[in-house]
Amino acid sequence: MSARERAIRAEGLSKKFGLSLRQSMKYGLRDVARRLAGRASNSGQLREGEFWAVKDVSFELEQGVALGVMGVNGSGKSTLLRILNGVYAPDAGKVSLRGRVGSLIAAGAGFAPMLSGRENVYVNGCLLGLSPREVTALMDEIVAFAELGQFIDLPVKNYSSGMHVRLGFAIAALSRPDILLMDEILAVGDMNFQKKCFDHILQLKQQGTSIILVSHSPGAIWSVCNRAVFMDRGKVVLDGSAEDVIRAYEDQNARNAMESGEQFDRAQAAHGGSGRQGQLKAQYGHAMGGTGDAVCAAVRLVGWEDGAPKQVFGFAEPIQIEADIEVRSAQEDLLIRYTIDAAHYRFIATLDSYEQGLILPSVRRGNYRLRVSLHQQNFRPGAYTLNVGISRKSVAVHLFYWHNAARFQIEHPKHRFLYSDSNAVMHLDCEFELAQVTVASRF
Amino acid sequence: MDRKNKSIRVYEASGARLGVVSSLALAGRELYSARHVIWRLFVRDFVAGFRQRLLGYLWVLLAPLLGIASFVFMQQIGVLNPGRTEIPYPIFVYIGTSVWGLLLGAVTNVSGGLIGNADLVIRTSIPKIAFAVTGMATICYGLLVNLAVLLLLLAWFGRPPSAWALLYPLAVLPMLLLGVGFGLFLAVVGAVARDITGMFTTLLGLVMYLTPVVYATDFPNPVLKAITRWNPLTYLVDAPRSLFVLGRVPEPARYAWSSLACVLVLIAGVHAFYLIKDRVAERL
Repeated sequence: MSARERAIRAEGLSKKFGLSLRQSMKYGLRDVARRLAGRASNSGQLREGEFWAVKDVSFELEQGVALGVMGVNGSGKSTLLRILNGVYAPDAGKVSLRGRVGSLIAAGAGFAPMLSGRENVYVNGCLLGLSPREVTALMDEIVAFAELGQFIDLPVKNYSSGMHVRLGFAIAALSRPDILLMDEILAVGDMNFQKKCFDHILQLKQQGTSIILVSHSPGAIWSVCNRAVFMDRGKVVLDGSAEDVIRAYEDQNARNAMESGEQFDRAQAAHGGSGRQGQLKAQYGHAMGGTGDAVCAAVRLVGWEDGAPKQVFGFAEPIQIEADIEVRSAQEDLLIRYTIDAAHYRFIATLDSYEQGLILPSVRRGNYRLRVSLHQQNFRPGAYTLNVGISRKSVAVHLFYWHNAARFQIEHPKHRFLYSDSNAVMHLDCEFELAQVTVASRF
Repeated sequence: MDRKNKSIRVYEASGARLGVVSSLALAGRELYSARHVIWRLFVRDFVAGFRQRLLGYLWVLLAPLLGIASFVFMQQIGVLNPGRTEIPYPIFVYIGTSVWGLLLGAVTNVSGGLIGNADLVIRTSIPKIAFAVTGMATICYGLLVNLAVLLLLLAWFGRPPSAWALLYPLAVLPMLLLGVGFGLFLAVVGAVARDITGMFTTLLGLVMYLTPVVYATDFPNPVLKAITRWNPLTYLVDAPRSLFVLGRVPEPARYAWSSLACVLVLIAGVHAFYLIKDRVAERL
């Protein structure tokens, strides 16, 4: 097999934007004046109030290879795609693209609601770089792919959103470009149409089309891409296999969720909503409250080996939870409980002193340290929060409760790829076996 | 797939400094490569603009006639004194406003081409000049309609057009080029600072009163007279009108110089467009 030709070569691509519209206009007018005066551009330097949306991005892509681009919102993925599509001029660096570039950023771009689907196919096809003759030749294929039938002659304004995106996708995908740029486009239409899209993308790859897919969907990246890059604050921080990049992306998401949760807690506390700073609230509905007969002053998670406080744990890494508890008056049948929330679900696990065998029939007034050891945790990668509750067996109200008392993150394991569902929270090890059976032996 | 004969596109940060000739050559190449898009966008806007309208395409004919009705009415009741004109006033004002409309239309359509198609500019790699000039198709179409209406008007007044009327499209060409030149400059600068185009068109509205558009500018005031005389637009409006109806161009030398100025403005506009266009997409 001959060596594959290079389709894209990006070298040190950078693009900056102004933070505010006013600044953007000021710098814009200054740049305009410099250019009109024939003076050299200083676009490679950052001025006050500007930031790098894309910074020093370099990569190469061979013919027939698909590159995934992942990153949280604002990481520069779409800006990079627009530079590759020739929409934004880079402020530094250079990119070379070999062959016709098709862009699924533009799926459905320029559709005029008053015109029929057929008329819009011509407009959209020309926008994607096809000649009217090429559009005519592709028309039947486009109509069939978009599953529009006689509706192709209906004004687009009467199309359902599904018909609209199917037609947009069909035009772009069937134009058979040498390089295909896609931005979150594979989640269009129903399941059958999505399957058809994936099949078509695969076929394009086999025919030699190079693909760049920007997506937040690990499934889409894993299905389509041979390799991927992970972007953070405009920079490529990881260029590797799709699996490694998906791991990095999901870990970053979990880290962001944890940090934004902490920011929210701080803001809430600053507004006095939590009751942490003042008198303990004797009602439910606050971040912290209870009768105050026993309180938890602090909760921290610590590493198993060194006992140092930490928030980020590896997959299946043992966790220790330490809490400082003040019992303000002697208590009988004390119950101490942690509950754990995941990003999208509450109370996914509970760690209760009584359930775990710590029976506390009588606890005298004083300060205590509670240590809980989670030897075998099986949380899936993601962000979690820990809530604390103190109550008594004989009293059905909380002496103390504290929502979001601590936050922690479980990182992706290096040795296995947990891709199946980012909403799942627990990993259960099991054995799979697939054996062929006859129809007669079915259940 | 044929891997040979594949073009290589290169996008890089402010490469070689662009000269005037390079700008013009680039404009020519890009307009040619985007000719299908320009045509399709024109058809799209034209057809979409007339569908689901009560008067449909008839509106194209009625609009210019209604446009001059107010001036003719003011002249009839004595509010407007257009001065001495060799041509019946309705014809005078119709041609004057039509030619002026070409300038204004070219400026507003070309300058608004990028902002109006912002969605396409930031989602496709179509050359930006194609979006800027796509509105010119409407102007050219309007010119043809105006000619048809003008012939009807001349027939109504029993004034056959001169044989030189055939050169009318050529005679108004400088005005169109002037509008495109200003429009291209405003398309890129106006995308950075949005109020510049509005300021310019307001200014143009004032200049109209120093140009023989709706009245003959034989002002008694010597300053106004001098301004009118040195105003190149005077000749760009007068020449096509006189050529069409009277078969002659008053002050042909001044018309020629004015036309040359229009070409220079167009070249400056194209050059400015290509110097600045890279700064525009992110500000749309």
